[in-house]
Amino acid sequence: MARGEIRLIGLTKRFAEVTAVDHIDLDVAPGKFFSLLGPSGCGKTTTLRMIAGFEQPSEGRILLDGTDVAYTPAHKRNVNTVFQNYALFPHLDVFDNVAFGLRRAKRPKSEVRQRALQALELVQLGGLEKRKPSQLSGGQQQRVALARALVLNPSVLLLDEPLGALDAKLRKTLQIELKTLQREVGITFIYVTHDQEEALTMSDRLAVMNGGKVEQIGAPQGVYEDPETLFVADFLGVSNLMDATAQGARDGRCRVRADTFELTAGSGAIDVTGPAKIVIRPERIELESREAASGPNRLPGMVERLVYVGSAVQVIVRVATGEALQVLVPNTGKALPYEQGTPVQVHLPVEALRVLAVDEAGEPGPAEEAALAEASGRD
Amino acid sequence: MYRRWLWPGFALPGVIWLIVLFLVPFYTVLAVALGTVDPILFQAVPIWNPLEWNVGWLNEVVHRLGPGGNLTDVALRTLEYVAIAVGLSLLIGYPVAYYIARLAGRTKALLLILVIAPLWINYLMRMLAWVNLLAPDGYVNRFLTYTHILSEPRDWLGGRPSTVILALVYGYIPFFILPLFAALDRIDQSHLEAARDLGASRFRTFLHVTLPLSKLGILGGAVLIALPMFGDYYTPNIVSGAAQTTMIGNQIDFYFHGGPQPTIGAAITIVLAAFLTLLMGYYLWTIHRSTGQERTT
Amino acid sequence: MSSVAGTPVAPRPSAWSRFRGWLSNPWGRPRFLPLVTWGYVVWSIVPVLIAVQFSFNATRSRTAWQGFSTRWYWGDPVDSVWHDPTLRNALVQSLKLAVADVVIATPIGVLLAIGLARWHGRGSGSSNFLMLFPLVTPEIVMGVALLLVFTEVFTFVGTGTTAQILGHVTFSISFVVVIVRGRLFSIGRQYEEAAADLGASPTVALARVLLPLLMPAIVASAAVVFAISLDDFVISQWLSKGGETDTVPVKIYSATRAAPLPSTNAIATIMMLLTLASVTLGFLVWRAFTRGERRAGQSVVKDMGALEI
Repeated sequence: MARGEIRLIGLTKRFAEVTAVDHIDLDVAPGKFFSLLGPSGCGKTTTLRMIAGFEQPSEGRILLDGTDVAYTPAHKRNVNTVFQNYALFPHLDVFDNVAFGLRRAKRPKSEVRQRALQALELVQLGGLEKRKPSQLSGGQQQRVALARALVLNPSVLLLDEPLGALDAKLRKTLQIELKTLQREVGITFIYVTHDQEEALTMSDRLAVMNGGKVEQIGAPQGVYEDPETLFVADFLGVSNLMDATAQGARDGRCRVRADTFELTAGSGAIDVTGPAKIVIRPERIELESREAASGPNRLPGMVERLVYVGSAVQVIVRVATGEALQVLVPNTGKALPYEQGTPVQVHLPVEALRVLAVDEAGEPGPAEEAALAEASGRD
Repeated sequence: MYRRWLWPGFALPGVIWLIVLFLVPFYTVLAVALGTVDPILFQAVPIWNPLEWNVGWLNEVVHRLGPGGNLTDVALRTLEYVAIAVGLSLLIGYPVAYYIARLAGRTKALLLILVIAPLWINYLMRMLAWVNLLAPDGYVNRFLTYTHILSEPRDWLGGRPSTVILALVYGYIPFFILPLFAALDRIDQSHLEAARDLGASRFRTFLHVTLPLSKLGILGGAVLIALPMFGDYYTPNIVSGAAQTTMIGNQIDFYFHGGPQPTIGAAITIVLAAFLTLLMGYYLWTIHRSTGQERTT
Repeated sequence: MSSVAGTPVAPRPSAWSRFRGWLSNPWGRPRFLPLVTWGYVVWSIVPVLIAVQFSFNATRSRTAWQGFSTRWYWGDPVDSVWHDPTLRNALVQSLKLAVADVVIATPIGVLLAIGLARWHGRGSGSSNFLMLFPLVTPEIVMGVALLLVFTEVFTFVGTGTTAQILGHVTFSISFVVVIVRGRLFSIGRQYEEAAADLGASPTVALARVLLPLLMPAIVASAAVVFAISLDDFVISQWLSKGGETDTVPVKIYSATRAAPLPSTNAIATIMMLLTLASVTLGFLVWRAFTRGERRAGQSVVKDMGALEI
């Protein structure tokens, strides 16, 4: 029997003239860490709030383990939330905060005490029961919020950008902790974030949202390596978008012409013809010396600048088509054989070069821009 | 949060109370003013059906208030007193509010408390204080004769318009300073610094930046004190017993307690309320217009 | 007082010449503004202080000070506040009305505030408008209206204590709503949502989460209602039946017009202390409750001042 499976069917939410969530369909398998990723205003928080029960959908169904809960009041759903600003009750101490849900469920006192203390141990906050939320640090407050939600053994735990208010180092630590916790506890996590790195590191599966719609769903690797739309390609990492004209498929690959250069794209919308975009991830581009032997998928270029980011170096190369590509070169400790102004040859390996059709939902049109701006107030 | 009737249900007791004890009384005033008078008992007979309203008494009152009527003097006098009192309040209150809001530094909190305290001191006590001071043998007369500004004690409480106006100023000015202070306090320092940076002198910055930005505060404060001032009857009664300084509020008071002729009293009240509604409407319209302008700039 | 090196130091100028120096400093900030301000404060407060002083006068003069005495408070067997039955009754009546006002207006106002803040359906706008109306209505208009309604419509009430209580509550409700609403807005919906998320029905969330968080505003508004009820004159006078239903402000009024005794000053002083104590208490309770939540020092009085607009 599935426990903690969520299915969204045609879920829609309209606020006045703005459609914040537009007929989305989503399946979240039980026990998985699932992320909703997207920019401000894309509808991810609204979707989460509808699953929690704080917003009533305009249309659609929310199936929790097979039962439609879309019109069930929030306090009757077996779903719990960790809020962005934690929403810890300021007038109660840590213990009473964590025990709140158990007391509402009228559990016997001894059980309340045992489970609450257990939950605090789980998030490594044992010993702080008597403190008030205002006396805790941000990280500690977040853990209390987590404990408060988990202690009720919900089928699904919803997390609304819980790490947003914390500094980078703490965020990284807590990301690992949350992931470990989720595996330990086995509850389905639905995690909302705008930080793509966070989503990629923590999720089993993720959905990229934009303008109220789901652009792509899949495992992190799939979404990153094989983006299906321009938006997804651009939102996750650097995409190195280039304009090109597709000339149709041959031998399972797509021939494209970028400026005056003929290239072959090994993945993506192979059968497309006409105006298109090609994308390639920065870590897949290979830089070769100008004198090296030429070959397919190679463009002449010049190093424009180098940006040192610690573990790697970003090399910005201006290629002969006029565009600037970002190449990521891991820091091996050895000096790089080029510097600003060096002419190079840029190799775009066929398997790494991906072609995308240009009229797919990617660039927001003017109406959508306005809707995004309005809805971003609610996200 | 789906219970549709929960929140209106909360509001219900309050709304019902206000309907029964606020709207109904107002309607009663209309019904009495536009009613008739029982000729034998000299009692007001309210008429509840709007279609049967009798405008006779209302007309009568409007005539009396208009040119040539026996209430004209009072009406004009009231306008005069309120206008002068509000003007003086502005003259005194603006520098005070400005100083506290922008320049007071460490003494700001203390000054704020001292300026707010009179709001909570009973109005009548404050008037009583001045009656004591203005008595024939009170401190004011003693000081003035001692310093030879006056050769003999003056009768301040015998029916002087200046006493009434000054009493009105004394009584109402704290209600003017507070909203004005709030408006001036809200002005972003960076606006003023930008003006100074662009070469405006201190005075010109005040004239062209601070003053316009505080205009709404001035208007708000002026309306806030003018509205109750128009209905004031106790201040003239306390600091001047005389008939020549009565205000329109005194007339209403007279027709209810002196006469009594409640129908006329109600009619005057209606006229006063209508006048004040116009004033309030003007204020709201000005606010609406200025916030509209803010959005377009 | 010479310095270490032995050079002579000029004698410190007197306070008066320092003041004059400060006054005439051409590079100093404008001097007349603080002068006007402090002058205003003195003009505003000193008369009241003098009146308080004379309430302790040993003789019945309100203008010539002849020594300290508490006779007007409790000493004089005929005219002191304690012994003069009209004054004592007035004090009791004022307190009666104030307590009744708080007890009735505060719950109604709190419910109304919560209802208006959460209600978005039809009728909410007009209800909000209705609530704001008493705040801008001149007192004499309200006095007339209430007097007429109790003599022409609800004649079973008539004038007197009941009418006065009903009148007080009517203008107090709006004050409660405005104060509580401010607090509601700063709390936001997050705590109620969290409570619902954890299984609390709306009524439980209200009782266990919202009301405790609203407590500072509820106490502050009760203190404000108490104070404005004590200070009220117009409504109390218009709905009074005379005699024992006269409140202290009404008695002060009639005494001031006729023949004020220092006992008038005394009872006025008592009222002033009660009102100021009430407001200060409310303010302190507010600050105590919200201690953990405050960031930059925003004083409550500034918030209350902003409410006036």
